[in-house]
Amino acid sequence: MKQLVRSQGFGAIIGVVAMLVVFTLIDFSGWWTNQTVANVSQFTAILAFVAMGQALVIMTKEIDLSVGSVYGLAGVAFITLEPALGVPGSFVLALAIAALVGFLQAIAVVKGELPSMIVTLGGLFAARGIIYVWTGGSVHNFSPAARSHPMTRLLGGELFGIDAAILWLITVAAILGLLLWATPFGNRLLATGGSRESAESRGVRTDRIKIAAFILCSLLAGFAGILTLCNQPQTHVTLGENMELEAIAAAVIGGCLLTGGRGSILGAILGALIVVSFRYELIALGAPSSWYITFIGAVLIVAVIFNQKLARFLGHSA
Amino acid sequence: MTNTHPLIQVKNLDLHFGAFHALKNVSVDFHAGELIGLVGDNGAGKTTLIRVLCGIYAPSSGEVFFDGKKIEKFHPKLAIDQGIETIQQSVGLCDNLSIARNFYLGREPVKRILGIPFLDFAKMREKSTRVIRQFGLRDNVSADDEVERLSGGERQSVKIGRAVEFMNRVVIMDEPTNHLSVREREHVNELAVQLKEQGLLVIYITHDIFQVHKLADRVVIMENGAKVADASTDAMTAEELEEVIRQGGRLVEKREAV
Amino acid sequence: MTLSIAKPLIRRHAEIGIFLIGAILVVIFASTSDGKWANLYNIGTILQVTATLGLMSLGVALVIGTGEIDISVGSTFGMGALAYLWLAAHVDPSLAAVAAVAVGAAIGLINGLLVTRTGTPSLIITLGTLMIFRGIAIALTEGFSFSVPYAARKGWAYFGLGGGEFLGFNTALYWLIIVLVILMVMLKAMPFGNRLLAVGGSAESAHSRGVRVSRIKLSAFVLCGVLAAFAGTLEAGKLGFADGSMGRLMELQAIASCVLGGCLLAGGRVSLIGALMGAFVLSSIQSYLVVTGVRPQWFILILGLIVVIAAYGDRSLRQWALRK
Repeated sequence: MKQLVRSQGFGAIIGVVAMLVVFTLIDFSGWWTNQTVANVSQFTAILAFVAMGQALVIMTKEIDLSVGSVYGLAGVAFITLEPALGVPGSFVLALAIAALVGFLQAIAVVKGELPSMIVTLGGLFAARGIIYVWTGGSVHNFSPAARSHPMTRLLGGELFGIDAAILWLITVAAILGLLLWATPFGNRLLATGGSRESAESRGVRTDRIKIAAFILCSLLAGFAGILTLCNQPQTHVTLGENMELEAIAAAVIGGCLLTGGRGSILGAILGALIVVSFRYELIALGAPSSWYITFIGAVLIVAVIFNQKLARFLGHSA
Repeated sequence: MTNTHPLIQVKNLDLHFGAFHALKNVSVDFHAGELIGLVGDNGAGKTTLIRVLCGIYAPSSGEVFFDGKKIEKFHPKLAIDQGIETIQQSVGLCDNLSIARNFYLGREPVKRILGIPFLDFAKMREKSTRVIRQFGLRDNVSADDEVERLSGGERQSVKIGRAVEFMNRVVIMDEPTNHLSVREREHVNELAVQLKEQGLLVIYITHDIFQVHKLADRVVIMENGAKVADASTDAMTAEELEEVIRQGGRLVEKREAV
Repeated sequence: MTLSIAKPLIRRHAEIGIFLIGAILVVIFASTSDGKWANLYNIGTILQVTATLGLMSLGVALVIGTGEIDISVGSTFGMGALAYLWLAAHVDPSLAAVAAVAVGAAIGLINGLLVTRTGTPSLIITLGTLMIFRGIAIALTEGFSFSVPYAARKGWAYFGLGGGEFLGFNTALYWLIIVLVILMVMLKAMPFGNRLLAVGGSAESAHSRGVRVSRIKLSAFVLCGVLAAFAGTLEAGKLGFADGSMGRLMELQAIASCVLGGCLLAGGRVSLIGALMGAFVLSSIQSYLVVTGVRPQWFILILGLIVVIAAYGDRSLRQWALRK
């Protein structure tokens, strides 16, 4: 039992169970209908990608505020470049752009020795600015040909009756989970966040680990943006606004300590499920969309305080 | 001296940091006019104990009496106001502030203009300059210089000078001779004895057993967060003391039993 | 040789960098904009923007001085503006301003209490309150209109609170100067300032000297909330109306101003006048883009890059100055 409580995703598991019980008991909108479950799981999968990337960065004791803009930028790049490059070409280039943003930010953090908060806050605006400048603020659509391209359907349609996004999530989460818990890289990543000096004294190149984490984070955010567009092939310059907050909230709910060195991939996914479910429920309740922003802010604060208390209760140095 | 009531009395003190049990049922008395050596290995709880005495940590359970009165609230401000000055090992100076500003941090002298408290710069500068000269800082260091620019020894001198300026009942020194040259060390040790002779309680933490044997009237030995021995230095030689620390206090218990 | 003389000066006055940048930009902007930038009307506009952004930046600088950060100021600005407009239509504007400032103080108090009582990172807490109050501001403006009728836009109090001009400049500028002087005296010549900087330099050391660290941080958050809401009041006074997005992105500009102005994000080193100069530089760039017909979308991109470059430049300059 203690083992379970100590596992990083514990808070999130409790949260998900409690949430499902409440939503089942106080059923405003037909919680367990196919429609609801499909929508919630689709949005959860998208947010979970971004949240997992965020979790990796938080584990190294940094933070990435730019994920919402990178998500949007990759999506916009994917849809804007498609006429010229075709679906596979624009897919690769969009991911490359995302990775480049992550790399540049990581270099500024690691080589420039700047706080990641400032660098990625700058990145948040720079990437969003690029979207505005690039698109001129207009809305883009996928051509019908691109919509029916096999790759679009592989990324955005349904496979075996399940949303492709969910299958992708399971695959990527499994790989990331293995990477984190069963490879030297994962060990070093956690060591970097837990105690940078100790990790370095054992020969870990913490700068490279951090660069890798930032690139992975941007890649995952970019991939999520592309998946979103494959599913709903229309975009707007505001794509992904405020998503960094949802992603941080999801990662924190999922048991990431902002003091680094602890976190969980499963937790991030469950955190995303909680955030999305509440959003869905608020919409179902007919609350104006602005309340959702308020709500995410409140959830973020509650989650971070709860995690801090839980960690102290368990005797972690937090 | 020891038949008067103790100046600081610690009773059954426990302190937990999360799952870590940092102090275990520590009871000890300190009297005015005593120079106490507090010794033990790294992590034995010496620094933790004195951080309770100077108000940085509040104990999880147990009691501390100062001058016969039970301490209800633990805060460095209250301790300093009661005349307990502490020379901490790693904390105590803010790098970004000048020597004069560090000197008076938390108890800045003010001149009131229309009831608004303004810093009394002249007083801050004049007094801190005098003290740092007295404690051997280079002539080209001024009280307006930021602490960031000082060497380890100079920083230590500022801390010691400040403690001497403000203390009136207790001085706690956590490894005060670290970073100091041989000459400066002797100066600090002489100072400790002087303060004791003026009737202050001096608690002196060190690793140097021979030094503490020479200086202290009494030695309190800690291990793993607990007090394991408490003995007068007259009762044993420095070699015996070293042996006691190595044995974790078992020797003393044996001797006392005999 | 001349550079080595500058070292100790820069070590003490980190804001020198931003003054140099500001001077260079002013020359470039004035000479390349064909008189569209460097005229009295445009400068007046820039100074009005500088005043509101500057007031906010001063508050953020205080919080940064304690080693924390407040990114909720954009929403606090908006809430202050809404509170002022809502009340100014009914009661005297000076009373409305007091109420708006009280709203700011309350938001600052919430931030400060959450940060100091729970020991959680201020970045996350204020990110949360940024969203909470942005959501509330949008929700409020969806139901009600926030504007002062033209007939009511008169009287000394209304003009004095950003709604008018004095000697050719918006009254907000004079408020900025008053607040700057008060804060500079507080920071440099009062015990509160000494303790605030000590907390930012080393909270542990400050605590060991009897400084009540939580109380200092709490005061900084409250002051920051007050200044942001007051800035919102002055902006609302100038415009006479507001919507729910008022003050959006201003939190980033305020932080950028502080970093540009030589405030160390780790805490303990603050230059109020530098933060103001940072606000002036940002407003100047924004105005330059507008008058030269560059699409305003560029500003957000440039702003993002400036934040990172400023942080890096500030760091490099300081390292250079510290080297012996």
